Amino acid sequence: MSQMGQNSSQDIYCTFERLLEDEQLSPPLAAILALTELIVSSNAGTMFELVEALKAGAEVLKKRSSNPISLNAGCELFIAFVTLFPHESDSFSELKTELVHQGRRYAAEAISFRDKIAESTLGFIKDDSVILTHSYSRVVMKALLHAHSTKRISVYVTEARPRGLGLKTYEALTAAGIPCTVVLDSAVAYVMDQVDFVLVGSEAVVESGGLINAVGSNQIAIIAKATNKPFYALAESYKFHRLFPLSQYDLPTHNADILSLPSLPQRGSSANTTSSSPASRITDGLPSSKPTVPSAHPTMTAEQIARNPRVDYTRPDLISLVFSDVGTLTPEGVSQYLVGMFAG
Amino acid sequence: MAPELQSAGYRAVEVLAGKLRRRQVVGSREAALETVLVLRQVVSRAQFSNITQLVAIIRDVGRRLSEAQPKEHTVGNIVRKVLHNIREEYNTATQGTALGTSSVRNVYSISKFVLQGQPRKHHVAPKSEATASLKENDPNDPDSFARGIKPVLMEAIQDVLDELETVYDNVSKNARDHIHSDEIILTIGHSKTVEAFLKAAAHNRNFTVIVAETGPSYSGHEMARSLSAAGISTFLVPDSSIFAIMSRVNKVLLGAHAILANGGMFAICGSLLAASAARAHSTPVVVCAGQFKLTPLWNLYHEYGALDFADPSSVLGFEEGDLVDKVDVVNPYYDYVGPELVDVLITNDGDHPPSSVYRLIKESYDDEDHEF
Repeated sequence: MSQMGQNSSQDIYCTFERLLEDEQLSPPLAAILALTELIVSSNAGTMFELVEALKAGAEVLKKRSSNPISLNAGCELFIAFVTLFPHESDSFSELKTELVHQGRRYAAEAISFRDKIAESTLGFIKDDSVILTHSYSRVVMKALLHAHSTKRISVYVTEARPRGLGLKTYEALTAAGIPCTVVLDSAVAYVMDQVDFVLVGSEAVVESGGLINAVGSNQIAIIAKATNKPFYALAESYKFHRLFPLSQYDLPTHNADILSLPSLPQRGSSANTTSSSPASRITDGLPSSKPTVPSAHPTMTAEQIARNPRVDYTRPDLISLVFSDVGTLTPEGVSQYLVGMFAG
Repeated sequence: MAPELQSAGYRAVEVLAGKLRRRQVVGSREAALETVLVLRQVVSRAQFSNITQLVAIIRDVGRRLSEAQPKEHTVGNIVRKVLHNIREEYNTATQGTALGTSSVRNVYSISKFVLQGQPRKHHVAPKSEATASLKENDPNDPDSFARGIKPVLMEAIQDVLDELETVYDNVSKNARDHIHSDEIILTIGHSKTVEAFLKAAAHNRNFTVIVAETGPSYSGHEMARSLSAAGISTFLVPDSSIFAIMSRVNKVLLGAHAILANGGMFAICGSLLAASAARAHSTPVVVCAGQFKLTPLWNLYHEYGALDFADPSSVLGFEEGDLVDKVDVVNPYYDYVGPELVDVLITNDGDHPPSSVYRLIKESYDDEDHEF
């Protein structure tokens, strides 16, 4: 039994990885498709067994993924749909086929959501707008390229360390002919006065109306609020997630390691710890054997980067509007959809 | 290929469009009333054999009217409200007849799940007066559908008309609960809704009203005259003293021209000044408006032109001679007041905070009607 369990968990993750290779599919959609594959290969005989299998599959995906939040949103949506699907079919296998069909159909439709969102965003982009965006987001790219076809826009994009996805945005926009400049993450406040509004994508939009996105979005939102610039979030409806974080540390991605301070040796110990460059970290009192080579640009080590968060949470009062395929929403309006799906 | 509007109905639309274009219809409620009457004529004379044709006719009328005067949002709102009511009546009328249960399964998809929430069992309450005889697109008798459903539709339109006619009464229903004795209320401009509200409260309470002049139209003068004639102790002050006296004011009462989907509003120029001054003193800002002013549009306030510029000669007239050449004079008629500056919206259908406006809009209008 456990052997089979292991195989299936391996399978579902492999399917998920394979689906992710398609550039167009975001993690939640890939998760939904992976779960539909699971339905196809499952030998569950009742609805209960099927839902259990789906939940187990979702758990596997969550554990093995480095960024589980948006994936979680997709899985929960699909499982809620399966549980509540009004079944009038005669046999269970017919029901399974129907569910698989619906899952695939939704994934195919969902590709068009980005176009819908781009269209509604267009109304808010005036000619000669200067837009600030963060990191790389497919839906923001679509919106910017769509706007570029009818209006003049210029874009500032943050580097978005440590993954540096902002450079990917830069290449894509420059290739399309949009004037674009990469901005250091630390220079956002410097550039904010020149910006007309901020446009970001999302990992998830949560029940409070807040936004979970690549780390740095919260910073940008706070600066935008301080300078009275609108902050717009673009999110497809499958990213609505039923979380309600009260602070950054409530996020499921947070753990004790993130931004934890190292335990330094007692002062006065004989370890000759040299803290010549502030970037060097002391590991349990072991003296640094290699002399610190003064390089032109000291960079963070992989370990140091791993101690930093990947996503952060932006409060709803900092967000002006959420553009989604179900319509343009105020942050409060998002919870209405979540309640409709998951409550009652 | 919608059937042509009957010429009489069509003429009424054109007449109203002309009036709107020439700004002969003044005031949001007047525009709304005229629109309902025109729609009633159009629907009563329309020829259609299924609901889609009727909807297309009404949307066409809506488009014509809102293009005639894009700044008068209540025209579009009324058309949307009528469409929503018509669809509702149509759905109740055809419940359990044409739509078989087999279509339910095919129609339910994940995107529907997201939009509409959990599937609810259809409560097929059989209507006693069986409108089950409604048959769309009957080739033998194309008018049967129209004949069958028109009485219900006229009722729906009458509902909208009734709501409009009783707006002032319904908004002022709970006026005495909102205004306490010996309060000092600040208001600007001459909003009929606010006027009715204050007069209703005056029946039970003694309070003072400070009215700001509201240049350059000076509609505050009218308001002060009307309120004092009703026996309310009224002060008329220039706009420049709004901030200065705000520390003595208990509440700010404003009227609105249109309420946008994010909870913000367009109101007479000077409202932003009053609302910001109130915010600085933590004074509650109360907006009195009928629900027909709720507009499901979002980005109007980004368009500078949405402020509806009026005649600049009331600011700087031609008698100034030399100056007129050298100075660019603008006279915006409306201000955009953001949702963060308003505390509560008193409508004819209850009191709501600006953050619930999106829900009110979802309940009153259908998504597909936002753009005609």
